[in-house]
Amino acid sequence: MLSLPVPARPGAREFLAVLSLIALLVSLFLCGCFLSGCYMVRPSKGGGNASAGPARGIDPGDIALPAGYRIEAVATGLTFPTAVVFDDNGALYAVEGGYAYGEEWGQPRLLKVMRKNMFTPIAVGDSNGPWTGITYAAAPEAGPGKGSFYVAEGGQLRGGRILRIGMDGKSEALVENLPSLGDHHTNGPVLGPDGMLYFGQGTATNSGVVGRDNHEFGWLARHRTFHDTPCQDIALSGVNYSSKDPFGGKKSKDTIETGAYSPFGTTTAPGQIVKGEIPCNGAIMRIARQGGRPELVAWGFRNPFAMAIAADGRLFALDNGYDDRGSRPVWGAGDLLWEVQPGRWYGWPDYSGNKSLDHAEFTKPHGERPQRLLDKDPGPWLATQAAVGNTPPAVTAQDGPPKPIAVLPVHSSADGLDFSRSEGFGYRGHAFVAEFGDMAPSVGKVLEPVGFKVVRVDMARGVSEDFAVNRKGPGPASRLETGGLERPVSLRFGPDGNSLYVVDFGVMTVSGKGDKPRKQTGVIWRIWKEGK
Amino acid sequence: MKASGRNTEVKRLKTRVRLILAASVIAPYFFFGCSGRRSEPLRGALDVSDPKVGHGQMVFMDKCDKCHPGGDAGLGPSLNNKPLPGFMVGFQARHGLGAMPAFAEDELPKGDLDDVVAYLKALRKNG
Repeated sequence: MLSLPVPARPGAREFLAVLSLIALLVSLFLCGCFLSGCYMVRPSKGGGNASAGPARGIDPGDIALPAGYRIEAVATGLTFPTAVVFDDNGALYAVEGGYAYGEEWGQPRLLKVMRKNMFTPIAVGDSNGPWTGITYAAAPEAGPGKGSFYVAEGGQLRGGRILRIGMDGKSEALVENLPSLGDHHTNGPVLGPDGMLYFGQGTATNSGVVGRDNHEFGWLARHRTFHDTPCQDIALSGVNYSSKDPFGGKKSKDTIETGAYSPFGTTTAPGQIVKGEIPCNGAIMRIARQGGRPELVAWGFRNPFAMAIAADGRLFALDNGYDDRGSRPVWGAGDLLWEVQPGRWYGWPDYSGNKSLDHAEFTKPHGERPQRLLDKDPGPWLATQAAVGNTPPAVTAQDGPPKPIAVLPVHSSADGLDFSRSEGFGYRGHAFVAEFGDMAPSVGKVLEPVGFKVVRVDMARGVSEDFAVNRKGPGPASRLETGGLERPVSLRFGPDGNSLYVVDFGVMTVSGKGDKPRKQTGVIWRIWKEGK
Repeated sequence: MKASGRNTEVKRLKTRVRLILAASVIAPYFFFGCSGRRSEPLRGALDVSDPKVGHGQMVFMDKCDKCHPGGDAGLGPSLNNKPLPGFMVGFQARHGLGAMPAFAEDELPKGDLDDVVAYLKALRKNG
């Protein structure tokens, strides 16, 4: 029990009155903390920021779904799985990435799933992973099951590629040397209604400036001059950012100035023009199925990791939002679900959605507001003209980026996208999104784990709601010590549309020392509606 | 003032200080300790047939959900487990507090804000 001294001096009343006032102020402060959540004083509580047990348990009963839905594990023991696909015989294939953040290197693989823990390798890549996505195109002239796979090779070591892989495992690159040596990779691909292959290309950096965080990723030491490349000619604001010199040793106090779209240590000046090139970063591009030069579809994305074609043929993409890291940190930026309109610019590195980063919501409390990197917005351009040239033509208007379909939670890492097209599954026309889950604290601070679940988005209303979550609490199963969802990274509806296959990357913990992915913990889950 | 009267007043002040300090320490833990998860897989579908609730849900998704996913904690704290009256929710949204930015009238009109409050109240009662 609190025991206060009782002063015998005549000033006792005044002393206690002052004490009472102090207590009242403390109370008001704590009350403010209660209202505000006391962001600044509470520790980060990311889902991966915990130790995980030695083995991964699998228990569908630990996953909660809407009434009438069931879930089962159809494949386990995979290493860093990133995607699934079906051939035109209905057979299921899985892609293992082969590379994971944390500088974990292995061989990417395309596997045919024979039974729960039985896989037949179709193709094996080398150390240029991660393989991030796959699609399949039938070959009607050759017969069922004789088509080709198209795989996005992330290209962490030698640049991104789009590969065509036959059923015999032979592969060829349709396009290579994509600018994938940085933070984000080559993603996709999806087959468009025009027969073209659409793929995403992520940015080299978090927000346009190479810094110490990129050295911590591992790639800056390998590729010291790598940086973002714009898709159009741009004029820079000339703002430069300081970063501690990662090459100066642990005790170095040297700082290095770096500008936007420039190698580490290279400054920029106001009005400086950076020439656009294709291929470029932060873009969705397309190529013909027989290969050829990539064409620009749209740009100004950060990391368009997942794409899907809706029933009406429109293209949609999930774009991972900025992190609170690096020399130009951006706070409070959600992941975005976009409708991809050819010829549009989508705002990176000066917007999140259709909001300028000047807005207060993107500045961390007591942090520095991100300054504009571009002298003016690139604006939309004529995609039809871009298709025949190597560089998009001049802009047609000075509009900013469009409004996204939905803004998903900050650091949720919304990575998987598909649309329900069957009444047998329900929610026809809704988008389903796999949320990999936060990588706090390396991407910024969170008060509770974010993501680690599957959500659905009502496209007409822009409303996202939980669909598959861990029953015990937020966060990955390893943290909760259950057999539920770990890190859902992609998803795809089966050929009949009645089942949703969710690719669960497996255990990946995060600490101040970096990311630690764990091999052979990946799972493929199947969700279906009872009676179907 | 007599000594006995002064002692009584000192005791009263001491009691007040103790109560304030105790409430200050206990209250936040009480509120932070409650689960904020109210989503469909755990609590059943939320009834959004009330136009105010349905519209409030759409506004919430546009302005609030990225930091308070489904009203739960994420980048920001949970809203579902704070039994605040509507005017206090509105006050915080309009003026900001702590890490939360303020939403001005032109960005979040009063009608929209009222509907967000209606949505949050419905969400708290869900399940």
